[in-house]
Amino acid sequence: MTNFNWLLDGSIVGVYLLVTMIAGLMVRKYVGNVEDFLVAGREMDVYLGIASLAATEFGIVTCMYTAQNGYEKGFAGATPGILMAVAMAGVGLTGFVIKPLRDSGVITIPELLEQRFGGRIRWAAGVVIVLGGLLNMGVFLRTGGQFLVLVAGLNVRYLEIMMTVLLIGVAVYTILGGMLSVLITDFLQFVVMSIGLILVTILILMNVGWEKLVTTVETQYGAGGFNPFVNSTMGWQYVLFNLMLNTAAVLTWQTIIARVLAAKDTRTGRKVYTRTSFFFVCRFLIPGIWGIAALATLGPVANTLEAMPTYLATAVPAGLMGILVAAMLAADMSTDSSYMLTWCSVIYNDILAPFRKQPWSQRKGLFWNRTIIALIGIFLLLYGLWYPLKGDLWTYLGVTGTIYLASISVLLIACCYWRRANSWGAAASIIVSAIIPVSYLVMEQLPSTAAFAKSVGPYYSGIATYLLSGAAMVIGSALKPGSRAEGSAANA
Amino acid sequence: MPKHLFWWALSMACVVWYSTITVYVAIKGAGDIRNMLARLGKNRNAEES
Repeated sequence: MTNFNWLLDGSIVGVYLLVTMIAGLMVRKYVGNVEDFLVAGREMDVYLGIASLAATEFGIVTCMYTAQNGYEKGFAGATPGILMAVAMAGVGLTGFVIKPLRDSGVITIPELLEQRFGGRIRWAAGVVIVLGGLLNMGVFLRTGGQFLVLVAGLNVRYLEIMMTVLLIGVAVYTILGGMLSVLITDFLQFVVMSIGLILVTILILMNVGWEKLVTTVETQYGAGGFNPFVNSTMGWQYVLFNLMLNTAAVLTWQTIIARVLAAKDTRTGRKVYTRTSFFFVCRFLIPGIWGIAALATLGPVANTLEAMPTYLATAVPAGLMGILVAAMLAADMSTDSSYMLTWCSVIYNDILAPFRKQPWSQRKGLFWNRTIIALIGIFLLLYGLWYPLKGDLWTYLGVTGTIYLASISVLLIACCYWRRANSWGAAASIIVSAIIPVSYLVMEQLPSTAAFAKSVGPYYSGIATYLLSGAAMVIGSALKPGSRAEGSAANA
Repeated sequence: MPKHLFWWALSMACVVWYSTITVYVAIKGAGDIRNMLARLGKNRNAEES
């Protein structure tokens, strides 16, 4: 049962897709070299940066997990958004890490790490970034397809077809226009996505009402629905893990950092951060309200991830439904295109770099970048089809993201501010922060260790990863022969 | 006064801020795109000549 009207809503979605594709393809003529392709020739200004960052960091997957958080945890589920906004505003205002990073003129984070820790660390950091990033992105397609199938009332057997069509559409303009197409389409997608999000939220607040939303959360979760510290599924460990995770994401998540690196100067990059920071509260709270509305209307359901789209399928009237689907498609396309381009930039710039005996021509570089994006698309399709998601989505994303966020944030901070940091510390940090989350994910999937993984939980394992990764950097750096002398020389 | 004032104020702030910023960024961002493409086009022409 859905209010999706194929003639009215289908036309709105069709027009949106057509305009986006045309805009994405039109700018491909401006791509003359690899720098144009990967960082838009470093010509991005503040407002385009805000639109692009907001659109990239809000996909259907975001909407699904934040709504799931709202459904399962009430208003307290928006805590990660508040923490991320605080972290982003702080980093933007102080320029912590992002200033030296942008000033260095690099295309990717590992490129900066090479200047301090050497080529091997650059390569290892590239591998870890791509591993964590692709595992993280692996669930985007299926979740996006799930939302669209439920909202549009399609048969679930069309889920895979929906995923494939979505991916091909995005891959075409990303492969041809790179970052330029991504920025232009991100801008259009930001506008469409925002209109849809705002209208649906106003509709929900008017139809369900604030009183009913609050009463539902009070009845279901008590004080824990409003305060994360007294919520039985959250607690201090949830808040601390999310504080570490979101601070590390703001400093090192390559899709976020790509906007700083594409900015026309450091000041512009910092402005993009400070002025986009409050968006991250909206990013969690707006879909969170949708999730709470689903709880108030549907009551308890078996699959909490599907509660919000199931609710919207009948709560949103025809006409607005087309805007909602276009908005969600916009959100998903901007995220997928940016993520594919970002991981491609690391594979090309950092992982393949040691295998290039001589510098490649711009033509060959562009060819390889486009090939890598196509291969990433194929991987995403296969991974999305075969990986069975267990537990809640936000936690999965947090654990896979931690594979690289923990070590790369430690490496980057040490690289910028600790003169005694060296390659031993960097290597130890990368190894520690990859082993703990990967072991946790594997143990969660194996029947013999699933109970143990559950007893430890993702938050303690996540906190341990960040702390031990930092400790590994300090101990590894201290153990390297001659490290004290190196540090003194660097200080001199 | 609405119940749970903190969450009410934050929710309303989100709707108001997001609506305002969408209109503002839509207008200013279009200008950014025009300028960016003009600069890239100029650079391209300079490289070719």
